[in-house]
Amino acid sequence: MKYLAKDDSLCIQCHACEDVCSKAYFKTEDPSKSCIRISEDGPEIITTCNQCGVCIDICPVETIVRDNKGIVRIKKKDCVGCFMCVGFCPEEAMMQHDDYIEPFKCIACGLCTKQCPTNAIFITEKDEDKVAAK
Amino acid sequence: MIKVNGRDFQWEEGLTVKGLLEKKKYTFPKIYVRINDELIPQEEYATVEIKDGDDVKVIHMMAGG
Amino acid sequence: MMDVKKIKDEHVTLQEYTYQLGNVDKGYTNRTLYINLSENKIKTKEVTQQMKEKFIGGKGFGLWYLWNAVTPQTKWNDPENEIVIAGGPICGITQYPGSGKSLICTISPLTGIPIDSNVGGYFGPLLKFSGWDALEIQGKADKDVIIVIDGNNGTVKIEEAPLEAIDGHVIGEQLTEMYADSEEDKRNVAVVTAGTAAEHTLVGLLNFTFYDVRRKVARLKQAGRGGIGTVFRNKKIKALVVKYQGVKGNLNNPVDQGTINQTGIKLHKEICKLDDKQNGMRKIGTANIIEVMDEYDLLPTHNFKFGMHKDTHKISSKVFIEKYITQGMADGCWYGCSMACAKAADKFELKTGPYKGHLVTVDGPEYENAAGLGSNCGIFDPHVVLELNFYCDTYAVDTISFGTITAFIMDCYENGIINKEITGGLELKFGNSDAALELLHQMSRGEGFGKVAGQGVHRMKKLFVEKYGADESFLNDIGMEQKGLEYSQYLSKESLAQQGGYALTNKGPQHDEAWLIFMDMVNNQIPTFDDKAEALHYFPMFRTWFGLYGMCKLPWNDIVPESNAHANEPAKIPEHVQNYVDICNAVTGKSIDKDQLIRESERVYNFQKVFNIRMGKGLRVHDRAPYRSIGPVTVEEYESRQDRYDSQLKEILGYEVDGKTTQEKVKVLRKYREEQFEKLQDTVYARRGWTKEGIPKIEHLKEIGMDLPEVLEVLEKVGETK
Repeated sequence: MKYLAKDDSLCIQCHACEDVCSKAYFKTEDPSKSCIRISEDGPEIITTCNQCGVCIDICPVETIVRDNKGIVRIKKKDCVGCFMCVGFCPEEAMMQHDDYIEPFKCIACGLCTKQCPTNAIFITEKDEDKVAAK
Repeated sequence: MIKVNGRDFQWEEGLTVKGLLEKKKYTFPKIYVRINDELIPQEEYATVEIKDGDDVKVIHMMAGG
Repeated sequence: MMDVKKIKDEHVTLQEYTYQLGNVDKGYTNRTLYINLSENKIKTKEVTQQMKEKFIGGKGFGLWYLWNAVTPQTKWNDPENEIVIAGGPICGITQYPGSGKSLICTISPLTGIPIDSNVGGYFGPLLKFSGWDALEIQGKADKDVIIVIDGNNGTVKIEEAPLEAIDGHVIGEQLTEMYADSEEDKRNVAVVTAGTAAEHTLVGLLNFTFYDVRRKVARLKQAGRGGIGTVFRNKKIKALVVKYQGVKGNLNNPVDQGTINQTGIKLHKEICKLDDKQNGMRKIGTANIIEVMDEYDLLPTHNFKFGMHKDTHKISSKVFIEKYITQGMADGCWYGCSMACAKAADKFELKTGPYKGHLVTVDGPEYENAAGLGSNCGIFDPHVVLELNFYCDTYAVDTISFGTITAFIMDCYENGIINKEITGGLELKFGNSDAALELLHQMSRGEGFGKVAGQGVHRMKKLFVEKYGADESFLNDIGMEQKGLEYSQYLSKESLAQQGGYALTNKGPQHDEAWLIFMDMVNNQIPTFDDKAEALHYFPMFRTWFGLYGMCKLPWNDIVPESNAHANEPAKIPEHVQNYVDICNAVTGKSIDKDQLIRESERVYNFQKVFNIRMGKGLRVHDRAPYRSIGPVTVEEYESRQDRYDSQLKEILGYEVDGKTTQEKVKVLRKYREEQFEKLQDTVYARRGWTKEGIPKIEHLKEIGMDLPEVLEVLEKVGETK
């Protein structure tokens, strides 16, 4: 299955990925509305979803599901906005913004990778049975 | 002699926090230990030794049911 | 699947009421749904500003409506008695764990005074989203009815419902199936039921469903205490149904959704990181403390005689985790509860009773069930604990009362006060699982000794004295009830503060007001009478607040934040108290602080106290406690902890124990402990602003803003004037 992989050592913190993501998702350039996040400090620079699926089991209304391509998606219609998935994400990659009552996350669309000048983020494949949380 | 939660308790050479908890049968997982008001991290229970005359507080964090 | 169409076809609509759908504004719909079953009348009542200011919501609203409905002469089975169900202004938010609670109030068949019970399940939140802050039910139906609220179409119906089952797990499923459009729609249906034993006993409870989308079963949470289910069935109500499609995370229309989101996410993270290392609530819920209580000599065993037992390991939380409880499910009883303590044993095969051989989902075990149904009755078989748990729920028997009742009966049996002839052949000795199960089945059928037991400890004591010549003072010592309500399952003998935590309560001995055993007995943080009185003021007031807002107590202190290690008053969990202040203000637009939070509770707490006085209880004499809750009644009990008691006599009283018989020592210790309890009462009453008789002082009521004319009128009648 596809997922958005990362190499923190290559990231130059240009934040271009955040802009393209928030624009694609919410039609605005706002890093706090991006599914990928670039931090200015810490060993972990890039935060994004590895499609591990911990959130699927946490969701009380079964509205987070893995699609037939292996990507973890939120069906917003039935989401009750509890944000338990945000609190329990091992990657802290389930995103939330107070302008919205549902969380949002990376679906490995790959738009950001096309903007990345250093290939610090890239779409790659992994076996579905190896997607467990770290 | 030491104080444990304000009550006298027999001290012995080499008494660690871990040893004290075992002697008192303090098995509850949500416990804070302070020796002379200093918080002892859980990782150090096996190594920190209690000295004669110390004032030990073993605070059980439960206000129950 | 059951043929629910056939069942539904037999419904006869007695009344239909149409209402305008409304929005929730800052946590309130500002309306109450009033239903009178004697007259088949349904109407809308306005929620007044005074109600919101003085009573907040939840049990505050329940007590206020109840006050206005009854007279001092009203008995539990009079038609004017009400069942009031209300969430509260925070109830229904989905971000902070434990925010979906309903509070139920009625005049209790056990105590004759108001009882309040706090329960999960989806009814409270869905009721609010359907447009109602509270549901007030008065009167009695002629035939069995259900009440159906459709929160999307704006209709309320009273329907005759002759064919539905009575037992909770069956009718819960039937009505969920009946009112859901599809499997996906089942989560939008919430049902309140009682069960068959509620018709024959005074300890009937209410089951509140929530549909479990993974196990595909209507799960049951219980409003257990005080016999509310008995009142429910006496009104001939089979069930309440509310249906609301379209739950979202912002339906309370709070003033500040962001603060609620951030506070909720902060707690989700805390639970994610720390719960495994702390209580394991996500794994086993409240049952995590079974073995802890045993290790600290606090697990009630053999009718509260002892605090530990060699066989406790057989019913320890590990046994339930490993053998019975399905893991990895979203076990919250309302959305957003990441504490997820509502555990369930799936495909549990029943060995006795009318559902023998069925594979059922048992909700539990809770700590109280394992202790009450298990150790307190000398039963250490985990299967039996779960089977009793299941049948208590579906028959609608309060597990806490059942445990304490059965333990009392077993104690009486072993003391020769009752025998096999009296019990109709049941050999009710400690540890007899078959007899305990049969007693429960008899409660469901309204037969035999089960019917006697279902009257509760208070009435049984009287019966055993009058009919079988039992020694009244001994029964008063070992019968673990007060005000008519059975004790819940903690041994309070070695903690004076907890003796007060049980006895100096409004509704009767239930630990939901204060649990101070570790603070007092183990940590020694409240050594003086003033310290204990302060704790017996603060904690009951703080914990009352959960019931005003529609909240659960557990996420307050069954998870402890890292900041707490450095807190000045760690037992209060200051960071979490601030969470509640923040959420409250964010929902309602108020600007309370942690002190005003206590003040809000004090008003309702004192109102309830005056309500008790109005109903003829609530004075000092009614706060007397059975001696078994204070100290060792018998030689056997004393000798089980002889070292401890001997050294107390020596060190505290300077009493020379050598050469004394145990009986002499029991007597001396008793005198001392009873004096201590009386002194505690004096100090606590003073701290709470009450007279020595336990009556709220008028100046205190003025100070806290609860000097309503009707309240003062009651106090004048008991001679309390300014």
